[in-house]
Amino acid sequence: MKKASKIFTALMFVFLFAPIAILLLFSFNEARSLSVFSGFSLKWYKELFRDTETLKTVRNTLVLAVCAAGVSTVMGTAAAVGIDRMRSKYLRSAMDMVTNIPMINPDIITGISMMLMFVFASRLFGFANSLSFITLLIAHITFCLPYVILQVLPKLRQMDKSLPEAAMDLGCTPWGAFWKVELPEIMPAIVTGMIMAFTLSLDDFVISYFTTGTGFQTLPIRIYNMTKKTVTPDMYALATLIFFVILALLLLSNLTDSEDSQKLRAARKAKRAASGRPPRDPRKQRILYACGGSLAVVAVAAAVIFAVTETDNKPQVLNVYNWGEYISDGSEGTLDTVKAFEVWYEEEYGRPVQVNYTTFASNEDMYAKLSFDAVSYDVVIPSDYMIARMIEEDMLLPLDFDNIPNYKYIADNFHGLYYDPEDAYSVPYAYGIVGIIYNANEVDEADAGGWDLMWNDKYAGRILQFNNSRDAFGTAMYRAGLDVNTTDRSAWDAALEDLLAQRSVVRSYVQDEVYNMMESGEAAVAAYYAGDYFTMLDAEAENVDLRFYYPEPTNFYIDAMCIPTCCQNKELAEIFINFMLSEEPAIANAEYTWYASPNTLVYENEDYIDEMGEDAMAILYPDWGDFAEKYNAYAYRNLDGELLDYINSLWETLKIN
Amino acid sequence: MTKKTARRNLVTGVASAPYELWAVIFILVPLAFVAYYAFTDNAFRFTTANITRFFTATSSVTGADGAADEVRTYLVITWRSVKLAVISTIVCLLLGYPLAYIISRSSPRAQKTMMTLIMIPMWMNFLIRTYAWMTILQDTGILNNLLGKLHLGRVHIIGTEAAVVIGMVYDYLPYMILPLYSIMAKMDYRLIEAARDLGCAPMGVLRRVILPLSMPGVVNGVTMVLIPSISTFYISQKLGDGMFFLLGDAIEGQYTANNLHFAAAIAFILMVALLAAMAVMRRLTNKYTYGGAAA
Repeated sequence: MKKASKIFTALMFVFLFAPIAILLLFSFNEARSLSVFSGFSLKWYKELFRDTETLKTVRNTLVLAVCAAGVSTVMGTAAAVGIDRMRSKYLRSAMDMVTNIPMINPDIITGISMMLMFVFASRLFGFANSLSFITLLIAHITFCLPYVILQVLPKLRQMDKSLPEAAMDLGCTPWGAFWKVELPEIMPAIVTGMIMAFTLSLDDFVISYFTTGTGFQTLPIRIYNMTKKTVTPDMYALATLIFFVILALLLLSNLTDSEDSQKLRAARKAKRAASGRPPRDPRKQRILYACGGSLAVVAVAAAVIFAVTETDNKPQVLNVYNWGEYISDGSEGTLDTVKAFEVWYEEEYGRPVQVNYTTFASNEDMYAKLSFDAVSYDVVIPSDYMIARMIEEDMLLPLDFDNIPNYKYIADNFHGLYYDPEDAYSVPYAYGIVGIIYNANEVDEADAGGWDLMWNDKYAGRILQFNNSRDAFGTAMYRAGLDVNTTDRSAWDAALEDLLAQRSVVRSYVQDEVYNMMESGEAAVAAYYAGDYFTMLDAEAENVDLRFYYPEPTNFYIDAMCIPTCCQNKELAEIFINFMLSEEPAIANAEYTWYASPNTLVYENEDYIDEMGEDAMAILYPDWGDFAEKYNAYAYRNLDGELLDYINSLWETLKIN
Repeated sequence: MTKKTARRNLVTGVASAPYELWAVIFILVPLAFVAYYAFTDNAFRFTTANITRFFTATSSVTGADGAADEVRTYLVITWRSVKLAVISTIVCLLLGYPLAYIISRSSPRAQKTMMTLIMIPMWMNFLIRTYAWMTILQDTGILNNLLGKLHLGRVHIIGTEAAVVIGMVYDYLPYMILPLYSIMAKMDYRLIEAARDLGCAPMGVLRRVILPLSMPGVVNGVTMVLIPSISTFYISQKLGDGMFFLLGDAIEGQYTANNLHFAAAIAFILMVALLAAMAVMRRLTNKYTYGGAAA
């Protein structure tokens, strides 16, 4: 029995720590990959300490988690005590029910409904910015509370109720009875509740995304938004560091429990007795020390990170909202284009400016936050079809091109496109074309070419398809020669038939997992963006030989810089856009993301061409003949709500088959 | 009732007041927004169409025998989500219960160490941990490399139900262990010894003494694992090869398709169903606990 339980315990800890071991291992990976280990390197740790944006989010996350855990523990414990004493059975079960609600609602619903409430309330009371750190904190406290209450309540029910009664009979005040008798009894549950609250707050991303204010981002949101290029290994390095800090603390607290310090404590106790004060309750003391200690550690950690990422309040703030991993951020020796703007601006205009750079994971997420008027961003970078929709809904401001003289460097191909026919609202930032990536060690050269490779049953179980309806249907419709923006439902039905036929050969429906799976040889064929092919190529395993081609026709997309109506400083936003078009930052961004640039200063630059190499240039900037014609024919357009709903139901049919 | 107890009841009645206020503003008002969206259309006119759609929408599914079958889309999705969540909860309970018991019987220092060790993995980011599981479970992953080196053959786990269950169990296990442990740590072990001394078989001790004593912990553990795992979507996407379409995915998809009203309707139905299930579960277990050994 003893032995069996020891083995069981050991196995459970192996299970719990297996992924942590992986984090540890891959944080030392030389390549960017999270699935192929190519050599030992410390570079991700260096990256981490240089990456002030990430450190800032770590600080935000810690501050938020400490506040949320603290408030929800105190309020939750008081609530549990109150609920436990309620004599009305109905009231008690009603409270039980209400307490469960935040746990039941899927995160996305909790997030959106809280956002709606905050927006509604701030309109009612006339606040300018409805979302802020406070709303984020309120949301976190709300979803932490049930976990605290659920911990403390059963403990109270388990407790012998005659104990506090006895204490009071013996002359204790009610408050004293609670403090001296009940509290020590329920303390373990309170501590677990607090730990749970802290943990939950530390990890939440969906609710945080919807309730946070302009420019305040937490670490999980940052990681979740890294959808363009998957999670970077410096996040693994960060996790590894956190792990060792906690482990060290654990060892330290165990050490302080050792005999030496017990002797010391005995001496202190004797001194206390000698001075005539009553001895402290050792149990309460220990708990107090534990709580105080852990809070102090977190506070110190937060303070250190505060110092590293000091934010002196500069008079001017520019809020930029972009995709995750979509700008050159200074990692691996690149130019930090946002920092460079701050420096350049101060030199040029003699006034400092602070850029708050935050990220989103999809056009729809970005739209949700802007459309409810909950935030104020100055520059956003949506994709083409979303720009069309935002122009239609009056969510964008026309640009003053006198402030954006560098617009002249945008190639002719990118003028007068369907989403902004007058070129009034947007400045192209990057563009891409969907191609097919395959592992040449597995796929016959003869089978490559065209969309049919993705339906080829020779490679059954080796093919990756997009895990979102628009892109997946797109592959089928380009293959069948259908218009991807058609309102004819029978065309969509036909595409569904093709996708259903493909399902048996599909290994996996993927988003950013595509990087891992192609790099490691887990799959052999995938449709993805040209720029991302090079990111994969950088990290492919030894036995993998990735190649790329464009099927015809295929999808084109453009992401462009725009100024939303909630903008607070339009001229500054335009200066920022102009700066991003200038040579150095534009090249840095294009090199970092590996996406094609619409900027002639970039793709005609000799150094850039050298850096990319001939092959990459040929793939990224193919000769498309009349680009505008192709783009307008094959790019996705904004579809009306009913059609989107219909496509989504077809998608559901595909997914439940 | 003495004067003191009366005063005490007054004091503790006030204790939960902040929470009650908080719950009304920050739980019930957002809930009202969900209900409002669930019962309106895109133009905010009242409708029950969203609710009926959940129960009546059908799609054609081809079975294993190749025959097409009309099924109720969202009921199928609900059934799959509930099934995976229930399996994960049971696995969590089967693993977490003995572990919590073992921990609660260890020395105080070992208890503290082990509980901290259980919490540490939770402090690494959830998304990153799920990614790490992909690296482990892939066909070309760590586990298969290890098995290959030991000449034990290969296993295909990723993309199967097993992988999704592993992911869910991993993420929610601490939420099972913590409530169990905090109850077991304060359990009266003299009762167990007494039962043994009086000739009760080990299984009998477990069933008649330990289980009823730890029942509040079981109920809370099950609640905290089952409920979030029904609406999760990230784990099933990453570890299920995108092949499992669960309620969380359905809600996410409706939101992306600009159909917030139907997304709210799905969430609303889910909530009503779960609250009803919880009420029943609590009633049953209350009877069992307080009518059993602990009373």
